Amino acid sequence: MALQGGQSDKTMQRALDGILVVDLAGSVATTYCSKLFVDYGATVVNLEPEVGFPTRQLAPFIDEASTESAMHGYLNANKKSVRRDLISDDAIAALLSEANLVLGDGTDIGLFDSRLRMDISWYDDCGPYADFIGSDAQCFALNGMLRNIGHADGPPLIPTGYQAQIVGGMTAFVGAMGQVLAQELNADGAGLHMRTSIFEAMMCFTEVGAITAYNTGLEGERLGINRFPPTYPLGVFPCADGWIGLTVLTPGQWHSFCELLDLAEFSQIELFQSAVGRLESVDLLEPLICEKLLGFSAEDLFYRAQNVGVPLARVPTMEELFAVDQFVHRDAFAGIDFGTGADLLAPTIPFRLFATPPILGGVVAPLGADSKAFL
Amino acid sequence: MIAESLKDIRIVDLSMGWAGPLACRQLADMGADVIKVESCVRFDWWRSWEATPAWIEDDGAEKSSAFNMVNRNKRAITLDLEDPAGRELLLRLVASAHAVVENFSGAVLPKLNLSYDVFKQVNDKIILVSMPAFGSTGPWANFRAYGSTVEQSSGLPHLNGSAEDLPTMHHVAYGDAVGGLNGAAALLVALRHQARTGLGQFVDVSQVEGLFPLASHGIMEFSANQRHPVRAGNRRDNVNPHGVYPCVGDDAWIVIQIYNDAQWQALRGMAAPYLDEFADRFGQPEALDRSIAEWTKQQTAQALMYALQARHVPAVVTNKASELLTDAHLDEGGYWQWMDRAVVGNQPNPSPPFRVNAQRIKIGKPAPTLGQHNHEILVGELGISQQQYELLIERGIIGQRPRMPGS
Repeated sequence: MALQGGQSDKTMQRALDGILVVDLAGSVATTYCSKLFVDYGATVVNLEPEVGFPTRQLAPFIDEASTESAMHGYLNANKKSVRRDLISDDAIAALLSEANLVLGDGTDIGLFDSRLRMDISWYDDCGPYADFIGSDAQCFALNGMLRNIGHADGPPLIPTGYQAQIVGGMTAFVGAMGQVLAQELNADGAGLHMRTSIFEAMMCFTEVGAITAYNTGLEGERLGINRFPPTYPLGVFPCADGWIGLTVLTPGQWHSFCELLDLAEFSQIELFQSAVGRLESVDLLEPLICEKLLGFSAEDLFYRAQNVGVPLARVPTMEELFAVDQFVHRDAFAGIDFGTGADLLAPTIPFRLFATPPILGGVVAPLGADSKAFL
Repeated sequence: MIAESLKDIRIVDLSMGWAGPLACRQLADMGADVIKVESCVRFDWWRSWEATPAWIEDDGAEKSSAFNMVNRNKRAITLDLEDPAGRELLLRLVASAHAVVENFSGAVLPKLNLSYDVFKQVNDKIILVSMPAFGSTGPWANFRAYGSTVEQSSGLPHLNGSAEDLPTMHHVAYGDAVGGLNGAAALLVALRHQARTGLGQFVDVSQVEGLFPLASHGIMEFSANQRHPVRAGNRRDNVNPHGVYPCVGDDAWIVIQIYNDAQWQALRGMAAPYLDEFADRFGQPEALDRSIAEWTKQQTAQALMYALQARHVPAVVTNKASELLTDAHLDEGGYWQWMDRAVVGNQPNPSPPFRVNAQRIKIGKPAPTLGQHNHEILVGELGISQQQYELLIERGIIGQRPRMPGS
């Protein structure tokens, strides 16, 4: 899928102009963290080994026959690539001491000689899991989310992709950006070494569940696919021509939803006025709701529901995402130029500063493309 | 001290629920002066969305674990923003702040005659971070959503679960926590620009677009190859065995993922003789899963996790929510910080997920009670008189207990 790349004015002032970030690790977490910097104008240098960063090996690839990683391109557009084996130790030391932020994965600690270093690892460097071989799935398992996904009588279902690492990268960005800002505000160049673990970053989803369980004794259960307390209907359902996402919480929303689906006879039943009452009646309600939904266009039902304040969702497939009018209007996807004739659409940064907008799309540097500048 | 590193930044937090308050908490944890503004009638709905007189009488507003968790390290005032006097006091507060954060649906601020332009009239350096579900521009800008709607709208459910099941969601509100992280990130970037140039601006965070990076493996697959990712349950290309297997106990499981032959041989050795017949780890995945399950069913999950990891086999238990408070790694790392809070007593609080120079960041204070800092901020800092303060209480513009609408 092709689109024009480089949609932004390169001379425009950016919010993070003048900040230098050096990534030593090349994990999904460190590269997503530095992606948030580069998208707002920071200079990011990927200091890569001779074989390149690990992200260069990640699926999916730019076409069936290629070894060029589309994921690497998404995570690393507009960054500089320097091969570590081609530049001197002195040049590396100078680069690190100049950097506002050095990103690592907990190894290469000997290279710590900078104003601020942030290490992002699976489990940090202390505690009983410190030496565990980590993974995205493990962080979903340990943070308590995994056991609530899937059929009640089957094993929990493992989410796909690199989601935990992306959350780790986002978390690291918040911590590191806070300290970059603090050092500038306070004219403070003192060295700080920050560490975050992807496991702890993933606790953002479940910390409230843990404390609620402590206070109430209520434990989340695996009730089935898309079955989450405290309400019903909630989930993804087929319509005549696509998928609709339902979340009906308040009595007012339930009344409006019943009217939309021509289920007025259920609108006033006392038991169904509460979210919990409907969840307890799921076996009765679900077949009726599913049957009704199949008579509607997902898009038509979505607009009609939103117009009466019921927060229904279109649930676009990966193909449909690129054509959703809201996302097209907002440039939610932009072209990444791989320099090989391949331009691919990728997500743009999800937050927009109106006076200093982000860079949308961009160019992926081949391995070591910027090494000469650092010789 | 990192817990004080943003101490000269003041943020007015108008947000409610999870995402907005979590965004502000990130900065409060770094020492920013975050002032939460609610009203006694339109209080943060994370205290409850079904308030009753009995709930008010029972101090229910102060007992929400969810509210207390995302509002620590903040100060709190109440102001009835529908009353001109309350609105005027908000604008005086905004005049003293670096930023305002809100996550109302699109129609709420205009109804209160509040906007970025109005805030800018009293403070030309102000940043306004707005966090609507679909972003503040485009045809869906005013559409309503919960965290579940956000996940549904991102397309992410099409990447999870099995092909024979419905597109599969992760969580009842997956979009909220991610929205909170993106909100904090956006605010920090805008504060950096403000610090350099003295300029404020409007900042827009789309919570739905915030989930696209988490779906990027599927988005890039379609973008590159025009191919819908296959929903294969717990199976993964080139990684086998890969699954969640039952252990001794009620709903006890272990995740095992085998990425290479060394890990496979280690697993095979430990599970002998159950896996002896499988020379190849890819040949009969269903039969292999059944044999692994036969073995794991006789093991306790915790002991098996440590035994497998000691042999460099990736494996972990699946924690329950209550088990997070006793998880050995979190416990040894001092993740839960215990602190007394009015009404609810000693409570666990999750640490900021960082260590700095090997030290945990200390949480300074628990979540404020409703309007706890009314006098301190309105009289002590905005300079209204004691007489005016008492009049505001009398007129119901401020207070320290919730009220039912119309009361």
